Amino acid sequence: MPSKTNKEGYLLIDHRNSPGVSADVIRTSGKDAPVVGEGQMLEAAVLTCSHCTAQIIRNPARTRERAYCRGCDHYICDGCEAKRVASGGQCDVFTRKLDRTVEIQHNWLLTGEHNG
Amino acid sequence: MAKRSFKVSTFTPVAVADTTAMTGAGYLGLQGGSSTQLINLIEVYMGGQAGASSPSIMIVARDSTVAVTPTALSTGNSDAALNPSTAALAAPPASFVTAGTQPQRSATLGLLNLSFNAFGGIVRWVAAPGEEIGILGNTASLGEVSLSAFTGGTPGLTGAHFIYEPF
Repeated sequence: MPSKTNKEGYLLIDHRNSPGVSADVIRTSGKDAPVVGEGQMLEAAVLTCSHCTAQIIRNPARTRERAYCRGCDHYICDGCEAKRVASGGQCDVFTRKLDRTVEIQHNWLLTGEHNG
Repeated sequence: MAKRSFKVSTFTPVAVADTTAMTGAGYLGLQGGSSTQLINLIEVYMGGQAGASSPSIMIVARDSTVAVTPTALSTGNSDAALNPSTAALAAPPASFVTAGTQPQRSATLGLLNLSFNAFGGIVRWVAAPGEEIGILGNTASLGEVSLSAFTGGTPGLTGAHFIYEPF
């Protein structure tokens, strides 16, 4: 039976025998990542954004609505949600982007014209 | 088609900013074997081998500048089919750790942040079936994915592999 959970991937960060990574290191990098400190282990389900294939770790403390696209019946990341809302709710699923890319390449090979 | 494993026994990731040329032998790269080849990236694993604390900001991302003339893998690094019955591909994907012109990580198309401490740390990411990271063709920005270190940490000796499936 289809469900949201059978589309979940798996992430393991095991620092049980390691000094781990501190919040300071993550913060100074400017990137968003889970902080798994010394002696800790993170095992989490991850979602794939169907619009860009970025991986999302669900934050159980999140109170905002999780971005979801009815067009592809899939969770999407916040960045793609902003684009979806700005485009009036258009679903731009990743496989369609791939199709467009192939089409552009074929056109270019056949005609030398870039219509993308 | 058939799943393959691109494994790098040991390397020291070299930290670089986004849209900056990576350093040879300091990253893993996977590029499509033709302009239309589709690849699914299924698993990324890293095991720390450092002898001292080495927080590493490891990023899986699409490359906004793809590698030109990827160099064939050498001792310790390999790309092999998981199933012994796998037939050779007409256009094998390029798995590489260095190239004539090094790739550059996209600033906007980051896919995974697998930060870990290479002093005893382990990271493993696995996609659910149908939810894999797609790589299409061999040009920017959909045609290549890399695993590399971002600035901010002190990357240490690491072993890593990609499990992927070319079509």
